[in-house]
Amino acid sequence: MTKEIRLAKKKRRNQKIAFGLFSLISYAVVAILFVILAFIVIKGIGVISWEFISAMPSNGMTEGGIYPAIIGTLCLVLVSMVFAFPVGVLAAIYMNEYVKEGWPKKIIKQMTNNLAGVPSIVFGLFGMSLFVNKMGFGDSILAGGLTLGLLVLPIVIRTTEESLKAVDDTFRQASFGLGASKWETTSKIVFPIAFPNIITGLILSIGRVSGETAPILFTVAAYFLPKLPTSIFDQAMALPYHLYVIATSGTNIEASRAMAYGTALILIIIVLISNLLANALRKYYGKKVKMN
Amino acid sequence: MHKIESKNVNFYYGENQALHDISLSMKTNTVTALIGPSGCGKSTYLRLLNRMNDLIDNTQMSGSILIDGNDIYAKNTNVDDLRKNVGMVFQKPNPFPKTIYENVAYGLRVNGITDKKLIEERVITSIEQVALWDEVKDKLKKSAFELSGGQQQRLCIARALAIKPSVLLMDEPTSALDPISTSKIEELIYELKNKYTIVIVTHNMQQAGRISDTTAFFYMGELIEHDTTKTIFTKPAIKQTEDYITGRFG
Amino acid sequence: MASYLETELGKLRSIILKIGKLAEGQVAEAVKALLSEPVAEGREVKKTENKIDKLDVKIDDICQSVFALQQPVASDLRFIMSAMQISNEIERIGDLAVSVIKASKNIKEKHELISKFNIAEIAREVESITIKTNECFQDMDETTIEEIFVLNNSIKSKSVTAIEEIIGEMKSHSKTVGSGTNLIIALKHMERIADHNSNIAESVYFMINAKTIKHERLFDKK
Repeated sequence: MTKEIRLAKKKRRNQKIAFGLFSLISYAVVAILFVILAFIVIKGIGVISWEFISAMPSNGMTEGGIYPAIIGTLCLVLVSMVFAFPVGVLAAIYMNEYVKEGWPKKIIKQMTNNLAGVPSIVFGLFGMSLFVNKMGFGDSILAGGLTLGLLVLPIVIRTTEESLKAVDDTFRQASFGLGASKWETTSKIVFPIAFPNIITGLILSIGRVSGETAPILFTVAAYFLPKLPTSIFDQAMALPYHLYVIATSGTNIEASRAMAYGTALILIIIVLISNLLANALRKYYGKKVKMN
Repeated sequence: MHKIESKNVNFYYGENQALHDISLSMKTNTVTALIGPSGCGKSTYLRLLNRMNDLIDNTQMSGSILIDGNDIYAKNTNVDDLRKNVGMVFQKPNPFPKTIYENVAYGLRVNGITDKKLIEERVITSIEQVALWDEVKDKLKKSAFELSGGQQQRLCIARALAIKPSVLLMDEPTSALDPISTSKIEELIYELKNKYTIVIVTHNMQQAGRISDTTAFFYMGELIEHDTTKTIFTKPAIKQTEDYITGRFG
Repeated sequence: MASYLETELGKLRSIILKIGKLAEGQVAEAVKALLSEPVAEGREVKKTENKIDKLDVKIDDICQSVFALQQPVASDLRFIMSAMQISNEIERIGDLAVSVIKASKNIKEKHELISKFNIAEIAREVESITIKTNECFQDMDETTIEEIFVLNNSIKSKSVTAIEEIIGEMKSHSKTVGSGTNLIIALKHMERIADHNSNIAESVYFMINAKTIKHERLFDKK
């Protein structure tokens, strides 16, 4: 009897220790995130003003704002998405709905995964040789956007594929069972059900695109260009590269230190907004096609 | 003549033989229950009847299945026509992400029916057939997901009925439903058998007893016994059947 | 929508009413055979008996499949359980009626014995208890149940008295021994018929109230 009680006590103690350990680790992770965020916010908040986000940089990038970099980044995101979204989604639909199981599919999948693992600087190099030189786009938003698009393509394909896979097979069977064709089934039934998850994956990849530096290094980014781009064939500034420049190779690194943190803060805010948007959209569409 | 007649059907998933030499026939306007432990091949057999297994890669089938005397696995069989004639209802209610109305109209639309009046008429009769009309007539334009599980399942049956099949396949149609919804579906099946030949897979033996005319017991991919439900439940000829229905299995 | 179970229960009910009517007819024949001279139609009686037996088997068959396939509960369950019992009782009533007819054939000097010992009244009461039982099942009427028990008791006591008197008669007039014995047998059968009817009433009571009153001399105590 007493032995059992002792055993139970020991069990409970072990459980407490384990739980304590786990919660400690989770809080530690959250804490690290907070420290980083707080660090950037504290250092950067001082320079944030309307002028900072709406004015051209001036005085060797130690004064003024980062307006062209923000616009440049938004343009790059737009171009990369316009490219990666349809291509990636269609590729994923083809892969998931049309290709039969077998070694060709396995190879394509493996390749897609490998592509996702290629360092971004390699994409930059590839983009430069293909878009900038071979296709003659020059250093331009188009070349940079396409390079970024290539970079996130495997991510778009993979999240779309996962979303499609998550659609219960009985929906397809029910549709085929009513005499619908493969295309009708995919476009009218499967895609709408998978859409909330696809859109989430897509917006998360926007975060990735807006933060990448290496691919735009050789393809679009301008060191200092105090004017807005007028077409997709123009060069442009971009937030991550601008951050890199003023933090490492600006005219006066010490003087622009605060601005570097401000830029970082803006970048984080953009990513944060796109994540929140992803959540909101997922919830909105999720309600429409709620699964039980 | 038998409505559905299968002769010496073998079926393989890759190297795995899922069905062994199944010969099973069903009469017009009867309910046939397929029972047996999980993985016994009853669902696989059901899915052969509307060639749903075609969608799975790397499978192989031999033997013949006749519906109304036509070999549905013959070269000249139009699979779309077959599936229109053989409706299917699934384990979990799976309405499409559309309105209640459009769920039922979907089958008509994909089959090229554009006459709005005809579509409306068919949608209404189908919903009435499953005794759902009074519950949904005021919210036809609302999402089908707003319905309860039992209502959704009846909607799925209406969806299948809209394109006027003569055979209805049901794969454990009540296993995800509460008892009240279950008995509603069972009553519905009892009504529907006047017009349709129904084949139902069920894990619930009592359900097989309640709603079916004949029962087929599958075990390890073989058809052990097929007889009137009453015979199966009161004096099965084969010991394995007796053991299964009395719950003394294994 | 009438469910399958409801259809089967309805079928069962109508068959029981039918078999009850047939048994009622047999009892009427038995009463006739006992009270009046030569028995009318032996073949009709035999035919009806076969019909009753067949329906009895059919009822068992329906009950079996309802039990096996429909899992009846509550009032449905009680109805089926009672139906099985009632059909048994009715079948016995039919058999006993035939036995009465057989015994009656061997009663000579009928009129004398019959009129002497109040047999006619017993016979009438047996006939009426059978009719009442059928009504009781048909209407599911509790008040009739009590009447049936009362009648049964009255038949029993009257029959006991009659049998004592018949024995006395046999002791004094030895030539009545043959007929007297057969009359006693017939009376005993009549008594059993009344008993079976009261068993049916018990089953009906169980059906209505979900309470068993078998073996409880509920109405004797009153």
